[in-house]
Amino acid sequence: MSARRYLCPPPEVLAATLTDEPGRPLELPDELRARLLEALRRPAPLRRPRRLDAFVVERGGELAATPFQWTARTARRSLGRRAARALATGVTPDALRAARLEVERLCDRARCGLERRGGLAPWLAGASTPVREQCAMEAAAWAHELIALLRPERTGVDVGLADAWFEVPGARTTLHARRDATADAGVLRLRDGFPSARAVDGLSVDGLVVALSAGSVPARVVGCWPDTGLAIVVEMTASRLEEAASNLVLAARPIETPSLVAA
Amino acid sequence: MTLPTTCGSLVIAPAAELIERLRGGRGVRPMVDPNLAGGVRAWLEDGLHERFGAQWRGTLRLSSSDVAPAAGASGALPVLRGALVAQLVALHVAGVTIDGAFHVAIEAMRSSGQEDQRLGELARLDEDDLAKLRVEVAAHDQVLRSSLHELPTRWSPRCGVRLGLALAGGRVHCTGRVDLALGARGGSHASTCLVDVTTSPLDVRHETLCRYLALLETLRTGEQPLRVAVLSTAEASCLVEDVDAGLLADAVTDVLDVLEAQVAA
Repeated sequence: MSARRYLCPPPEVLAATLTDEPGRPLELPDELRARLLEALRRPAPLRRPRRLDAFVVERGGELAATPFQWTARTARRSLGRRAARALATGVTPDALRAARLEVERLCDRARCGLERRGGLAPWLAGASTPVREQCAMEAAAWAHELIALLRPERTGVDVGLADAWFEVPGARTTLHARRDATADAGVLRLRDGFPSARAVDGLSVDGLVVALSAGSVPARVVGCWPDTGLAIVVEMTASRLEEAASNLVLAARPIETPSLVAA
Repeated sequence: MTLPTTCGSLVIAPAAELIERLRGGRGVRPMVDPNLAGGVRAWLEDGLHERFGAQWRGTLRLSSSDVAPAAGASGALPVLRGALVAQLVALHVAGVTIDGAFHVAIEAMRSSGQEDQRLGELARLDEDDLAKLRVEVAAHDQVLRSSLHELPTRWSPRCGVRLGLALAGGRVHCTGRVDLALGARGGSHASTCLVDVTTSPLDVRHETLCRYLALLETLRTGEQPLRVAVLSTAEASCLVEDVDAGLLADAVTDVLDVLEAQVAA
């Protein structure tokens, strides 16, 4: 069985899925890696860069209906991850204060010209105080959920690390995997709402992208849906990696079609 | 603390006492029962099986508004008023000094990224309705100001918390949204509180809503909350209920009754 489902798992159980080393660590086969990269490079150069992630795979290659824009909702994970890290490392015991510190830090960086245009920091710097506070509240709630799920101070799990990214050479394609918590043997990500029918496929893609980015395959990828108390643990096996690679390639096709037609 | 008033079976307190009543007395908090959530879920699953049978293959969606339907005036205005006041809740909890509640609420709604439909409805309102809404939002803001001030950040306040529950192998989805959640779970005693903010006067359906939200939170986290409350900004009053097994059992019956009515319809 390569996917397990949990209802309201205690922090110790979740932490164990992230820390328990598998009997035999799995390697990403060179042949699979080469095949995947080749498939993503075909059939023609893209006009615009594209990003592939679990979200796109779960929707079968369909992109979000509206263009991305910064809102309190879209900013909450970026801010919340840093706030969760501040809580876990004892910088402050207060989630709202941690989120406010992160908002202030980003605003300072934007004012000093250290952040790129279109990013979160310039948007926050240009926003009013109520909007910034709204962002801090959303981020604090997100950080609170992550900390309540994992209790990193007890379990030793790392929270708030950077996501995994992998640039496919010659394909103008970036692969992205969200990583909200990690330990020796696994990665965990928080999700909204209810698990989709293809949640396991999405988590497997996260595992594959982490493997491409870090060079080693995580033993497990854990998806947590705190709104519903559900968690799915996907064991990364050779067949899962193979499946994830196929799903990535399939999801890539609908995205590249408009560009090809336009060309 | 002033004496609470009653309305039918409801015990209603002034809104200004909300936080005091949620905190309650020290040393009387119930222990978290680790088996309660599992037991309540089993009641629900068994109830679904008994009422709909093993052959039932439909899908159902249940939200707070199905369990406790809005009474009284219909139309866009009450819905918009509720949505705008919900934005102000988060800002009051964050301790923001709000100058011009209506415009601040619209700005917060715009930047929330979740209310595009409401913003469209707002844009379609005529001048009279906008003026009426402005006055109403300002009045409701006054109640929030008096009832949510001085909320300590160590209580881990979270606003707009979504609650969900999948039953019958994912064929029944129950959802709800809490305007304000307080306290952290994970201790030996129940310590989280849920607050729903309504812009209508309190009545019996809010008691049902309290039960429903407590049920979702219990099954979502595996721990029963300490208290659940509804704050009415229409009449500056609040309803605060202690959560126990009896309240959750009633919530199970409420949910099964509503689901049965949905299937029958």
